[in-house]
Amino acid sequence: MKALILVGGFGTRLRPLTLRVPKPLVDFANKPMILHQIEALKEVGVTEVVLAINYQPEVMLNFLKEFEPKLGIKITCSQETEPLGTAGPLALARDKLVDGSGEPFFVLNSDVICEYPFTELVNFHKSHGGEVTIMITKVDEPSKYGVVVMEEETRRVERFVEKPKIFVGNKINAGIYLLNPSVLDRIELRPTSIEKEVFPKIASDQKLYAMDLPGFWMDIGQPKDYVTGLGLYLNSLRKKSPSKLAFGPNMIGNVLVHENASIGEGCLIGPDVTIGPGCVVESSVRLSRCTVMRGARIKNHSCISNSIIGWHSTVGQWARIENMTILGEDVHVGDEVYTNGGVVLPHKEIKSDILKPDIVM
Amino acid sequence: MGSSDERIVAVIMVGGPTKGTRFRPLSFNVPKPLIPLAGQPMVHHPISACRRIPNLTQIYLIGFYEEREFALYVSAISNELRVPVRYLREDRPHGSAGGLYNFRDYIMDENPSHIFLLNCDVCCSFPLPEMLDAHKGYGGMGTLLVIKVSAESANQFGELVADPQTNELLHYTEKPETFVSDLINCGVYIFTPDIFRAIQDSFTQRKDRANLRRVSSFEALQSATKVLPADYLRLDQDILSPLAGKKVLYTYETRDFWEQIKTPGMSLKCSGLFLAQFHHTSPHLLAESKGSRSATIIGDVYIHPSAKVHPTAKIGPNVSISANARIGAGARLVSCIILDDVDIKEHAMVIHSIVGWRSSIGKWSRVQGGGDYNTKLGITILGESVAVDDEVVVIDSIILPNKTLTVRVQEEIIL
Repeated sequence: MKALILVGGFGTRLRPLTLRVPKPLVDFANKPMILHQIEALKEVGVTEVVLAINYQPEVMLNFLKEFEPKLGIKITCSQETEPLGTAGPLALARDKLVDGSGEPFFVLNSDVICEYPFTELVNFHKSHGGEVTIMITKVDEPSKYGVVVMEEETRRVERFVEKPKIFVGNKINAGIYLLNPSVLDRIELRPTSIEKEVFPKIASDQKLYAMDLPGFWMDIGQPKDYVTGLGLYLNSLRKKSPSKLAFGPNMIGNVLVHENASIGEGCLIGPDVTIGPGCVVESSVRLSRCTVMRGARIKNHSCISNSIIGWHSTVGQWARIENMTILGEDVHVGDEVYTNGGVVLPHKEIKSDILKPDIVM
Repeated sequence: MGSSDERIVAVIMVGGPTKGTRFRPLSFNVPKPLIPLAGQPMVHHPISACRRIPNLTQIYLIGFYEEREFALYVSAISNELRVPVRYLREDRPHGSAGGLYNFRDYIMDENPSHIFLLNCDVCCSFPLPEMLDAHKGYGGMGTLLVIKVSAESANQFGELVADPQTNELLHYTEKPETFVSDLINCGVYIFTPDIFRAIQDSFTQRKDRANLRRVSSFEALQSATKVLPADYLRLDQDILSPLAGKKVLYTYETRDFWEQIKTPGMSLKCSGLFLAQFHHTSPHLLAESKGSRSATIIGDVYIHPSAKVHPTAKIGPNVSISANARIGAGARLVSCIILDDVDIKEHAMVIHSIVGWRSSIGKWSRVQGGGDYNTKLGITILGESVAVDDEVVVIDSIILPNKTLTVRVQEEIIL
C-alpha cells in the first residue's frame, strides 16, 4: 500500500518553530511530527510514502533519507511549483500512487495527531465497497468546521455542511482518508480542494463512507493546540505503552522523558510534559504542560507551564515561563526573567520581563 | 549660652488615621508611622537619628492616632534609646504648627535651648548635629533642612529661595504652580523656643484678619480657599512663608539623599535608602552571607533575628525581612519588604513587592512589581493574610487583606 501526506506550505501558524525546520519535522513528543504518521503507516504495511510539499523539499528529504533504511519504507517527495490545495497534489503524484495493484491508498493531513487506527480503516473500507473512506471525529464546536452528515446505519456520507449555523451533527472530517485509485480520475491537476470539491461529488454518487476515529484527535497546526495535543497523546500513550512514561515521586500525571535527558533533584514535573534528548533540567525545577525540545537547559528553581521551549534554548534560574510562551531555537531567557506569552524568534536573548503576550523579533 | 546649658528636645510629627490613606492596604493594620522600612518602623528612623543629637533630653511624638497604637512601640524605644519618648495625642488635626503649639507646655517643660521638629515620613540621612551647628552659627530662630531637586519635580514640595552667602531663607512657597526654585523644604527643622512666640503671633494675626473679613462680606465670598479651623496652623504656609526674608529663618542644605514617603512604592525605595544608610549608622543590622550554611545575600539586606531563612535561598538587594518570617528553600527575594509571620515557600520569587503580615506565597509562585516606585501599581502589595497558591503569578497588583489567589493576577486591585 501507498500513502500520501499533505505537508503543504510554510507552517506559519507554528512559527517560530517552523523557522528552523519545515512543520512536519517539528518535534512532537520527542519525535518529528511526520515520523508519528510514517511509523503508523509502516506498521499497517505501507511500503511507500509520498510527501506532497511546496516548501524546502530538500530539507525534508535530507532528513528523511536517514529514516528510510531504519523504517524500511520508501519516502519520496512530490513538489508543487504552485500551491495545489488539498486535492491537486493527488493528481500531481498520480504516477507515484498508481501501481496497477488496485489497492487503496492513504491520504493524511500532516497536522493531525491521533492513534492512527489504519488497520480498522482498511477493514472498514473493504467492507463497504465505496470509493472513499474518511475518518471522522466528534468536536465540541461543530460550527467551526465542516460537518459530515451521514446515514447512521450504513455509514454512507450524504453531504458536507461547511461551518453550519444550525446544528446538523457534531462529526467532522478528521483529515485521514483511504481512497481507491479510481478517485484519481475525478481530480484535475489544478488548485482544488478535496474536502470542498472532490468529496461532495463522491458523496452525491453514494460512494463515500465515514468511520468514527477511535481515541483522541487534534490538529496541532498551532501552538495552543500543539500543547493540548501533547496532553492527549501522552494520555493515549499511558493506555497503550505505560512503560514509556516516566514515573516517580517527582512526576505528576503523564511525563515523557528522553533517555538522554537528565533531571536534577527536587524537581516537580508534569502533567503533560515532554523532555527531549540531551536536555538538562537542573534541580528544583517545576514543569507542567510544556515541551522541552532537544538540547535545552532549564536552570535551578525555574518554573515553566503551558509553553514550548525550542531546541538548544536555555531558561535561567528563577525564570518563569508561561501562557503559551514559545521559544524558538537557541533562545536564552535570563535569570529571574518572566515571560507571559512571549513568542521569541530564534537566537535571541531575553534579559527583561515580557509581561504581556508579545512577539520578540 | 554654653553647651553645658544646652538642652534639646525633639518632636516628631506622626499624623493620624485620616492621613496616610495612600498607604492602604498596609495602613489598615498598622498606623503608617509604624510600617517597617529596612526592618524598622518608619518613625524609628528619625528617632534613631536623634541619638546623635548632643544633650537630647526628650523625644515627643505628636499625632492624632489613638494612644494605644503607639504605646508598645514608645515604651520599647524609650528603653532602647535611654531617652524618654512620649506620644502626645491631639484630639484632632491642628496642623504642624498648631500641634506643636498645643503641646508647648510639655515641650518647654524641660526648658530646652533648641527644639528639633521632624516629619516622620521623610527619608534622609537626618544630619541633625550638623544642622544644630549651622543653626547656632546663623543665630536665627529657625533653620530648615533643604535639598536641591530637579526643576521638574520641585513643585510637589515647598520651594524656597535662600541667600547663597548667608543661607538666609528669603522666600518660601508651598507647591507653586510655576517654577520658583529647585531648592525644597525637607520637613526637618530646628527652632529656638521663640518659635512659640511666632506661632502665637500668627494666631493673633489670623484672628484680626478674620475680624476684618466679617466687615467685608464681599471678600469672604471671594475667598476660594477652604476655611480652616481657627486653631489649625500649618508650619510651611502660615509660619515659614511670612517669616521668610525677615532674618529669622535660615537653611541648611543636605547633599545626601532625600525622599518623601507618601506611598507604599516610595516606602520600598526608602527602605533601600535606609538599608544603605545602615552602612554608616548600624552596620550590625545588615545581613551577610556566611558560606553554604546561610542564605546567599546580595547587596543590602535586613533579616530579623527571629526570621528563618533557608540556606539555599538567595536574598537581595534591598530586602528587609521582619520577625518570624519563614523563607523556604530556593526562594529568591529581590527588592521587597517581607512583613511579620510571612511564609514564603520553596522556589518562590518575590520582586519589587511588599508582602503583608501573615501572608503566604506558594511554591514556584511569583509575586512581582514593575519597580516604578512612583506609579500606583508600580510595586505589588499583598495586604495582611493574603495567600498566593503554588505556581500562581501576581504581577503589578494590589491585593487587599484576607484574599486567596488561585489564578494569575495582573494589573489589578483585588478588593
